[in-house]
Amino acid sequence: MNQPSDQTFQERKRPDAAVSAAIVAANTPSAANGSEPAQRRRDSEGGLNLKPSGRTHGSSSSALEDRSVHAPGQTMGQIAVENPVFSCRDVNVYYGQKHALKKVSIDVGRKQVLAMIGPSGCGKSTFLRCLNRMNDTIAGARVTGSITLDGRDIHDKRQDVVQIRARVGMVFQKPNPFPKSIYDNVAYGPRIHGLARGRADLDDIVCTSLQRAGLWDEVKDRLNSPGTGLSGGQQQRLCIARTIAIQPEVILMDEPCSALDPIATARIEDLIDELRAQYAIVIVTHSMQQAARVSQRTAYFHMGDLIEVGETDKVFTNPRHRLTEDYITGRFG
Amino acid sequence: MLEGHISKAFDGALATLHVRVIEMGGLVLDQVREATRAYTDWEEESALRVIEREREVNAYDKSIDSEQLLLIARRAPVAGDLRAIIAMSKCVAELERAGDEAKKISKNVLGAGSYPGAATARDARHLGELAVSLLRLALEALDTIDASLCYEVIARDKDLDAEYAAGLRRLLTRAMEDPRHFEVTVEAAFVLKSLERIGDHARNLARHVLSIEA
Repeated sequence: MNQPSDQTFQERKRPDAAVSAAIVAANTPSAANGSEPAQRRRDSEGGLNLKPSGRTHGSSSSALEDRSVHAPGQTMGQIAVENPVFSCRDVNVYYGQKHALKKVSIDVGRKQVLAMIGPSGCGKSTFLRCLNRMNDTIAGARVTGSITLDGRDIHDKRQDVVQIRARVGMVFQKPNPFPKSIYDNVAYGPRIHGLARGRADLDDIVCTSLQRAGLWDEVKDRLNSPGTGLSGGQQQRLCIARTIAIQPEVILMDEPCSALDPIATARIEDLIDELRAQYAIVIVTHSMQQAARVSQRTAYFHMGDLIEVGETDKVFTNPRHRLTEDYITGRFG
Repeated sequence: MLEGHISKAFDGALATLHVRVIEMGGLVLDQVREATRAYTDWEEESALRVIEREREVNAYDKSIDSEQLLLIARRAPVAGDLRAIIAMSKCVAELERAGDEAKKISKNVLGAGSYPGAATARDARHLGELAVSLLRLALEALDTIDASLCYEVIARDKDLDAEYAAGLRRLLTRAMEDPRHFEVTVEAAFVLKSLERIGDHARNLARHVLSIEA
């Protein structure tokens, strides 16, 4: 059998690698001395203090796709899903001269949570706002490409934007209840969209929505109190109740927990998991752990490009693109 | 691939963990070497030293385990970082078991064991050298996180297995030739088996390193 001699090992060893030196030291005759391992540890620690980041790793290639320049529209992973609620193809968004979103193509599946992550300014919120035509309200914003909701282009002139926003509800970063009672906050949408056939029906919608939002038990005895008097977490759940009161198909959430404490965050995350049984949810979050906990699919955006999309379990354990890996492991962002 | 985080403290903690595992590997390598020598040259002093230092191996195991738990709790690592930490945890378990095998070999010398004959000692020495070189290569693969070295370790473990089978056959032949060798044969068979197992731990270690690159 062809085994390497110590000399062979010495030749392989990098001269500056303290850790390799520890292995070599263990193989020298002096290693027989009982006090030697302690000395070796001291040497190694010294080596570490000198240059822990100076390591050069092996010649083997990484499994990651390492493209320094990402071509727009070349998303890694499975962008399509079966029977999508939203299907977006080659979506571009311009704010004046700025090209904020570049050829983004992705489907949103039914009864699942899609998390969108990426550094600030990467285009994830811009994309979220495309889905209920909120970008229409921004002066100088221009959206191109195709976005279909249940197979119909949401930019079709025959589409009523108010109806689209009724079908695609939105929850914002900061809880924004109306300065009205808890009851009226939830009843507002069904009233203006004519979803209730009378007071009893409206009561039923308010009660069901608050129950689904996990808030009913906490507010059932004070429905006429102002919504703004609730705690931050309760206000956010009130906003979610307000959103689901108009029976949307999709709920968009733009950093819904960033203003909440960990307990309120855990409640909202539980709620998202329950709501998933009925709705498609698209959530923008800066918390990697939250994306990993609540979503089934994750999309990573970088400087206006959709870099990678895939099953959340895979994205957070074995991402395919170097940029995704670097972002989620905290190497830039 | 363990460096480059925005948080330099995270870089430092990962690098420290990596170095600690390699240090533990160096100690285990030394243990295997010394245990083999203790058996082949029948040196009680060496055997005692191995058993004494086994406590150090276990201490490494414990302290690295605590460091890993803290790192996971503090940093919530994902992707390559998570794979590296989990892989290092598994590597530590392999090293700890390899250390146990070295201890087992040494216990033969201190118990009511029998001095191996020249031919048996030669076989044990040869197998010991192979096990040490395999473990050393696996540690180098872990040090540099080098997949090609890992594949080399995995391939060479098969050679060690073949050498073990051949050594065992020679042992049995000698026992059949002279039944008075029976006792020493049984003990030597356990020693050879321990050395073969150390090779398996080196191979497993290489597989864990490969999982970092996944």
